[in-house]
Amino acid sequence: MKKRIKLVLVGMMTAFLLSGCSLPGLGGGSANTIKIGTVTTSETQTLGYIQKYMIEHYTDLHAEIVGNLGSSIVMHQAMVNGDVDISAARYTGTDLSGALHMDLVNDPDEAMEIVQREFEEQFDQKWYDTYGFDNTYVLSVRQDVADKDGLEKVSDLESVADKYQFGVDNSWINREGIGYDEFIKEYGFEFNKIYPMQIGLVYSALNSGKMDAVLAYSTDARLKQFNLATLEDDKHFFPPYDASPVATNEVLQEHPEIDEILQKMVGKFDNETIIELNYQADIEKREPSTVAREYLEEHNYFEDN
Amino acid sequence: MDILKELMTYYSENGAYIWTEFYRHFLMSAYGVLFAGIVGIPVGILIARYSKLSPWVISFVNVIQTVPALALLAVLMLVMGLGTNTVILALFLYSLLPIIKNTYTGILGVDKTLKEAGNAMGMTRFQILRMVELPLSLSVIMAGLRTALVIAIGIATIGTFIGAGGLGSIIVRGTNAAEGGAIILAGAIPTALMAVMADFVMGWFERLLSPANSRKLS
Repeated sequence: MKKRIKLVLVGMMTAFLLSGCSLPGLGGGSANTIKIGTVTTSETQTLGYIQKYMIEHYTDLHAEIVGNLGSSIVMHQAMVNGDVDISAARYTGTDLSGALHMDLVNDPDEAMEIVQREFEEQFDQKWYDTYGFDNTYVLSVRQDVADKDGLEKVSDLESVADKYQFGVDNSWINREGIGYDEFIKEYGFEFNKIYPMQIGLVYSALNSGKMDAVLAYSTDARLKQFNLATLEDDKHFFPPYDASPVATNEVLQEHPEIDEILQKMVGKFDNETIIELNYQADIEKREPSTVAREYLEEHNYFEDN
Repeated sequence: MDILKELMTYYSENGAYIWTEFYRHFLMSAYGVLFAGIVGIPVGILIARYSKLSPWVISFVNVIQTVPALALLAVLMLVMGLGTNTVILALFLYSLLPIIKNTYTGILGVDKTLKEAGNAMGMTRFQILRMVELPLSLSVIMAGLRTALVIAIGIATIGTFIGAGGLGSIIVRGTNAAEGGAIILAGAIPTALMAVMADFVMGWFERLLSPANSRKLS
């Protein structure tokens, strides 16, 4: 008798594991659970939680975060395999070179058009219009230096660059097509000396005065923390990394209300907003889930528009 | 001192989040051990009876134990995809060794004369198992479950790499944030606490079920 009960239990367990159903307490049944993928960065996590709370606010569906995925390639693979229904944020530049194996394009609109078309065709996924921010390389200087030397655009550096120490990401210098050599060719000036370092270090190196200009990531919270000025890339040298949500057409057909929700988020987050959200998560050390909840309550879950 | 203050702020601001991850973490570990118990205890009993099987089974579960956790998760992920079920399967596999081995040792450790006495009283094999062998080896089996649960709680932290969440996600976030020491601690402390608590509670059960106590209870 006992053995039979055990056999039944073993059978049930195998069924659970193979069918991909969730066990009690670990999320609802798979049919009504929307899985949102995020990578390790705070901005994708915050946006992921915003999507989760939006979905739970507007519908009866349950949404679950599949977090800390290694890279956008892992996320892409997970979406193709059906482990993830929505990507919290994907970047045009990353997906052009990563998922699509294509060359980078310098025009933001063209890049967006390509990924939207190709993802629809190749993977049956919908790439939305941009959230309104891009996480790309940006040249950054201290605010007082920018004021003193009258810097607004990258071209403005031409007259002063030969006195500047320039701190950059290790992996950028030799990147094909967008590295330092091409930068010199495009803008026509060189810095006094270039210091490759870990990307996380450039902000404090600039702030402490060891560097005069650095190549930073445009949504990093430390730009706000140290009050650093960013210079406009007036020659569009750096490829665009506009961020958008991506969803599988399968989940959109099944739950058309999700399409409306994601459309509501399009264009609502500019760089300043994202830096502010990153600041709360990275510098003030609050969980993305807390940050997302507060942001939505403050904006009334975008109900007004 | 600074880090302690940051830690307190972190807990007060993100209490609800930590609690959900804690609960999730515990459930994953508990399910893994539960299923391993359901499979492992009968297997342990079986190999105690048919001793020819025991070297095969034990070396097989030993081999599982030698696979590094991250590698096992990665391999399972290829087959089962992302999510909690993959982590639970990995924890299940890791829990098999302590559970099977302890059941096997426990059953073999029962005094032969007691079994013979049961036999002489006309008990069937199943009755001997239920009334003599299992009660006497229960505390050893519990010790196996206890070890398995403590190991599982530790391993479940890396489940976050395949999107299963749990307290590991807090630790990983701390490693990614600039100066995230406080966040790492905020994730590590509840994990350690859970392991210690699990060890304590299971230890209490173990003592309760030991043969010396069960006589008093009945």
